[in-house]
Amino acid sequence: MRGHRLAAFGAAVLLWCAASLGALAEARPAPGAILRDWYYLMNELVRHTATYSPPVASRSFAYLGITAFEAAVGGSDKLTSLVGQLHGLEQLPQREAGVSYDETVVISAAMSDAIVFYFGNTGPTGQRAINRAQSKWRALAVEGVPEDVVMRSEAFGKAMAAAIFAWSQNDGGATVPNMGFPYEYELPKGDDKWVPTNVISQQQLPLLPQWGNNRTFATPDGAACPTAGNPAYSTDPGSEFYKEADEVYQVVRNATPEQAAIARFWSDDPMLSMTPPGHWISIALQVAERADLSLDDNVDLLARMGIAMSDAFVGCWHAKFVYNLVRPITYIKKVIDPKWEPILNTPPFPEYPSGHSTVSGAMDAVMTAFFGENYAFEDKTGSPDGRNPRKYASFHEAAEEAGISRLYGGIHFRSAIADGLVQGRCIAAYTIALKTRK
Amino acid sequence: MRTTHSFAVALLLGGFGLAQPGLAQAPAVPLFVDETAASGITTSYDGDWFYIVGGGVAAFDCNDDSYADIVLPGGESKAQLYVNTSSKGGSLSFVPQESGLELDSVSGLYPADIDSDGITDLVVLRVGENVVMRGLGACKFERANEAWGFDGGDAWTASAALSFERGSSWPTIAVGNYIDRNEDISPWGSCTDNWLHRPGGAGKFAAPLPLKPSFCALSMLFTDWDKSGTPSLRVSNDREYYEGGQEQMWRILPGAEPRLLTPADGWKVLRIWGMGIASYDLDGDGYPEYFLTSMADNKLQALATPGPKADYKDLAYAKGVTAHRPYTGDDLRPSTAWHPQFDDVNNDGLADLFVAKGNVDQMPDFAMHDPNNLLLQGGDGKFVEAGDKAGIANNGNSRGAALVDFNMDGLLDLAVVNRRSGAQVWRNTGTEGGGNWIELEVRQAAPNEDAIGGWLEVKHGDKVMRRELTVGGGHAGGQLGWVHFGLGGETTTTVAVVWPDGTRSEWPNLAAGGFYVLERDKPASPFSPRD
Repeated sequence: MRGHRLAAFGAAVLLWCAASLGALAEARPAPGAILRDWYYLMNELVRHTATYSPPVASRSFAYLGITAFEAAVGGSDKLTSLVGQLHGLEQLPQREAGVSYDETVVISAAMSDAIVFYFGNTGPTGQRAINRAQSKWRALAVEGVPEDVVMRSEAFGKAMAAAIFAWSQNDGGATVPNMGFPYEYELPKGDDKWVPTNVISQQQLPLLPQWGNNRTFATPDGAACPTAGNPAYSTDPGSEFYKEADEVYQVVRNATPEQAAIARFWSDDPMLSMTPPGHWISIALQVAERADLSLDDNVDLLARMGIAMSDAFVGCWHAKFVYNLVRPITYIKKVIDPKWEPILNTPPFPEYPSGHSTVSGAMDAVMTAFFGENYAFEDKTGSPDGRNPRKYASFHEAAEEAGISRLYGGIHFRSAIADGLVQGRCIAAYTIALKTRK
Repeated sequence: MRTTHSFAVALLLGGFGLAQPGLAQAPAVPLFVDETAASGITTSYDGDWFYIVGGGVAAFDCNDDSYADIVLPGGESKAQLYVNTSSKGGSLSFVPQESGLELDSVSGLYPADIDSDGITDLVVLRVGENVVMRGLGACKFERANEAWGFDGGDAWTASAALSFERGSSWPTIAVGNYIDRNEDISPWGSCTDNWLHRPGGAGKFAAPLPLKPSFCALSMLFTDWDKSGTPSLRVSNDREYYEGGQEQMWRILPGAEPRLLTPADGWKVLRIWGMGIASYDLDGDGYPEYFLTSMADNKLQALATPGPKADYKDLAYAKGVTAHRPYTGDDLRPSTAWHPQFDDVNNDGLADLFVAKGNVDQMPDFAMHDPNNLLLQGGDGKFVEAGDKAGIANNGNSRGAALVDFNMDGLLDLAVVNRRSGAQVWRNTGTEGGGNWIELEVRQAAPNEDAIGGWLEVKHGDKVMRRELTVGGGHAGGQLGWVHFGLGGETTTTVAVVWPDGTRSEWPNLAAGGFYVLERDKPASPFSPRD
């Protein structure tokens, strides 16, 4: 997303330069635009912060989205707070009545603090980027705004970020030691059970085995949308399990260039990309910018997406450690062809259900509810990494492709994909039911 | 000279990749003594963001006494040359000397005789303009960018490698550049071009050739990975900053445009936080293996099938060299690895592995107390951590390093550069029951008097230990001079040099425990260091 991102940054920097000369006070960024710039930076930080596996990213996007939403609620005559609707969110700072606030300053201050709360563990380059953005974008945001309004607006934005952060601290996901890999964990035994799939020391135990117990936002808990379960494990060529494995084996062996491209387009590997949650946020930012969404729409969309994707990962991870299913690479090498290799790197945790499918199903549901059916768009997320943009006729089509990409890549069986998509849409229904408008 | 030890049995029966079940024994641990305080070395690698990487050390003899002197980078402070005043087998002692190398913004240095005048020069890597420094003798240097037509550019440089392309009397220098330091909010994806400075005729370099694509190189090495006789350029890249990047190998044929190896060559995509390269033919098949430093797990690559296909497999886990987190103390967070170096620190005839460690800069998800590794190779080809037992488990935030026999006693000592604190030196005081050794200096007529691109072979029992003569690799620094081999219980050995042009010279029956100058077409010349 570099070209797109730089365009946004470039515009901001240009405006900042002009504003600093006092020439273009009227060109202050709209609150929705400055929110999107913070999100572009966050997506960079997701890629470049070592703890940011997909579940961790989804959690941060939830809290960041809610922070922006609640910061904006008091300045909107259309939005209504999520207090009382999300687990454990019982009270938040309120705006002072009868005085004015500047929405750009409120949003910028809230995100400026929130980004430190959730990415404070990023590396020196990330810290430097945060510091530069805080300095430059604040200068942009406050240009021409009366000092008392700036102070009041910043205080409120900061207070909101701090309150949401405090709420986040006891959800079970606030600390992520060892990049999410437990120091101790007893692997379930059995031919059908997950075993490590690479020779990386750190990944000999699965990623975040307790994540499914985290507090959810809108769904009752991680078990709220159970999956149907994988086909019974068997090495019998006539069994459903063998057939699904053989499908992965054959598809990868005979992958068309298009299938391989799809696999890589949605690969979204941690530390090498913005992860699947960041990919969907990137899609939302592209669509929001093209649609020139208002602040109300921006914060509503991003909050709902964050909530749904975080609940989707909690639900998915809950199921993963119920089934603890073996990955295709393990089964196929053992039963079908010891020399077989998938197109993608196999993630270091159990197979069923597919996390990318669950989150994509959830995002399909949330974005379709927001933008409507058959909303066509182009996704340029992978362009900086050399992947061609892809066009979709709907969010549903994109989610289905994201799901099947995991089969093309050789890292998931079909059942994990189909059931993951269903699970994600089930989880998203709780988010869609949230009341965000008066 | 050390006596034969029990480990020799295992050595004769098995090496790397040649496991002998039931015969593996714990490698003997050398004892290092920290002599920093009395050594006279005080330079620290200073600075903030521009110096999160780099910090390599150059070790070479600049005053013709055959003792390795060192140059330490200072980051935003000035670099400093130290003359080695150690006596044979004595404590490590250095004296700072004004040399002309007192440059700021230095991230690393590689010694090499660029103009083949018999005096070692330096490639000085900087955050800013790179500089080639011509050696004048007596540890004095002068800037030679203009005289040699070297365009130092203006980049954030932290890696380099040098080679003499076949038929050329002037070297080719590859320079690895990092991110665009002028990028403000979003430096990710801003990797700047690496450069290939090839000969331009008449004792000058041509204009640098950009190596596109470049992916934020932090280590480069010209290496004859396929025994083709023509070194390729191996580049290790930092995935933190590239987009769409990977590790790289450039095929560089004389007179031809560089060509990246691709899947058609067997090359597989590998994306790591590449920071350093160490190479050694660990399994005796004639092909070098490569240790690549990174964050958390490190990699040990060997050809899946020895031959012309660049299909590498990772043996780090199997051989016990993932070195992914601290091995001592209570900090269990993942490690950050920088300079790697294969060398035999206990003289048992098996290459060991040193790895410098240190947090990038207050990264809370990675170990803050991250001791350097000393991984000793055993007879089963697996490595065992011994940094704490050997006494080199430091508290510094390490970057570059050099295993060098500073006091000419046949035991490899250690110098380590630390970020924001003083460099350290350790004297190797020996290994109980340690083995014999031999140290060799290779010479040929100019050009390329140091025979860069050649190979040294030392017979050890029925095995042959091979190592490539290179300038490059490690992290931002390297060594030139005596090449050390442990010999275990051997009292004599046969030594050979495969010269860069492919011809081979052999010197039989050299006694262990000595220094020899191996000059092409001449008998081996024993050398006695001053006391």
